[in-house]
Amino acid sequence: MNIRVRGVMIAVAALWLAATPAKGQAPSAGFPAYTPPRTADGKPNLNGIWQALTTANWDIQAHGAQPGPHPELMGAWGAGPGGQSIVEGGEIPYRPEALAKKKQNLETRMAAKVTNDPHRYDSGEPELQCYRPGVPRANYMPFPFQIFQTPGEILIVYEYKGASRTIYMDPHREPPTDSWMGWSNGHWEGDTLVVDVTGFNDHTWFDRAGNFHSDALHVVERYTPISPYHIKYEATIEDPNVFTRPWKISFPLYRRVEENVQLVEFNCVPFVEELMYGPVGLYKPPSR
Amino acid sequence: MRTRILAALGAVTIIMAVESMAPIPVAAQAVSGTKSFNPTVIDTEVAIKAAAEAAKTAAAATANWTPPRTAWGDPDLRGYWLSLSYTPLERPAELAGKPLYTEQEAFAAFRKAVETDAEVDPRTVHYDWKEYGMDAWQSPVRPNLRTSLIVDPPDGRIPALTPEAQKRQAAAAAAARARNPQTGVQTLGNLYTRCITGNQGPPRLPFNHDSESQILQTPGYVVMLMQANGDVRIIPLDGRPHLPQNVGQWLGDARGHWEGNTLVVETTNFHPERNWRGSTDGLKLIERFTLVDPKTIRYEFTVDDPTTWTRPWSAESPLPRIEPPLYEWACHEQNYGLMNVVKGAQAREAEARR
Repeated sequence: MNIRVRGVMIAVAALWLAATPAKGQAPSAGFPAYTPPRTADGKPNLNGIWQALTTANWDIQAHGAQPGPHPELMGAWGAGPGGQSIVEGGEIPYRPEALAKKKQNLETRMAAKVTNDPHRYDSGEPELQCYRPGVPRANYMPFPFQIFQTPGEILIVYEYKGASRTIYMDPHREPPTDSWMGWSNGHWEGDTLVVDVTGFNDHTWFDRAGNFHSDALHVVERYTPISPYHIKYEATIEDPNVFTRPWKISFPLYRRVEENVQLVEFNCVPFVEELMYGPVGLYKPPSR
Repeated sequence: MRTRILAALGAVTIIMAVESMAPIPVAAQAVSGTKSFNPTVIDTEVAIKAAAEAAKTAAAATANWTPPRTAWGDPDLRGYWLSLSYTPLERPAELAGKPLYTEQEAFAAFRKAVETDAEVDPRTVHYDWKEYGMDAWQSPVRPNLRTSLIVDPPDGRIPALTPEAQKRQAAAAAAARARNPQTGVQTLGNLYTRCITGNQGPPRLPFNHDSESQILQTPGYVVMLMQANGDVRIIPLDGRPHLPQNVGQWLGDARGHWEGNTLVVETTNFHPERNWRGSTDGLKLIERFTLVDPKTIRYEFTVDDPTTWTRPWSAESPLPRIEPPLYEWACHEQNYGLMNVVKGAQAREAEARR
């Protein structure tokens, strides 16, 4: 997208947000005022292993429990838990044609087809195929992630797929091209880490329910520590190709406090080879 | 915003590097660490000599140099580092008994290697490495006096396989023949082309493309981020035990500590199917990272797997500093190359059967 056009849209979004009173379930409700510990350079210290405890990865909107797509094989293993919405106000402001596309995504989410061109992204839920989850989805997948905070850059490493993203604090950098995890520039507003994420491709989804975006996606994330063990996470999502207005999600992140807790590798590529390459005859199980 | 159509894995790496660098001079990343670089110079000898002189000047300037520390007192290895070398892993037979070149010989060997690297066969390759600033003499890699990266055993060669490992390899080769002519992702691809791991191990051996990396440090951790496949190694420094033995990981389970200015990393728990140079999940890797001047990490590793090699062996290679940043490497997401390679092989096999 043209940088200038994007700048105007960001300004419009900012105005809209400023005019909208914050509603919804602020995860900090009931928490006393908190001053987080500092890093060596005096910033709030977000280092640690964090994890969301929502069911948003199945559907970011409110949803009941559901059987899995292959109950005859997977039984209760494949079933999805019910859960409440992380979307402020509950509704995602889709354009009419985009809502139709969302419904189609849901219908074809198991239709992974692998081609040697970008048509491989036409259908099939990205997580099903072990693709990078994008932002904000990476933050509410049912896997922990670890924050490494330095003055110039903040690195987030996600257990899922070992995907990572660098948040450039100083200097900021322009996205050189589109990518799955987007391009993140950050700054501090008081004790809140604010991350501006652009440079997305249009291949990631928000959840398994088919909620999606275009390559005009622009996400502004806010990470606010509200206790030694909780971060209030908020994200504003803007994409004029798909939504009629910016909208907001929020949920808490919980610190993983187990002794010696660490990310354990979840490299899902070998888990999807048969699914993805089998139908086109590329898979021959090795004899073991 | 454009969608990138990347035709083959090989092309991916080149296109990524070139297009990603669009906002900055094309040569900036490749030549970082060597301010002497002049993109108008296309004479190999002139370029190498200028770089060698610059390296000597830099070395002289840092003769009484104290390695930097982080704000919390750890040796500071932070930055971006390249794993590339023109020194072979094993000492060539014709150099038996000669572990080190003279300076002049090293220069000549380097020149020969980089010129070979820059040569392009127009029947197979449709681009000129030099055009994109990607041939080696424009990189911060410098001539190396060693004739092999392996420093132990003293003959510079990988030790003999144990009888058990020989049996294992013979069985694997027989199984591969039995599968013929079937071809598939798992029989034709390797971990790199299948996008399961990148090209930087561990251990890290020089690779001729996309072997950039970043080291980050926070109190209690060192993180190593590889360009290839976006592999991340998180190395706790708090002395915690390894994961239980049954937890296998493609990149292993790393634990680090400081010995003076050297980061020592011990990695175990390798995935049973990883098969690094014929090794098993019993592989134990020790790596040592030392900043020897502002622009160079000395990287040493020792691998030990008693069921594979008759003795442990060690290698050493410099990692020159390069400019930031790294870019996303979504390998599996757009792994068209593997499909094309496999389809091509299947077509050839079908032809052979006709």
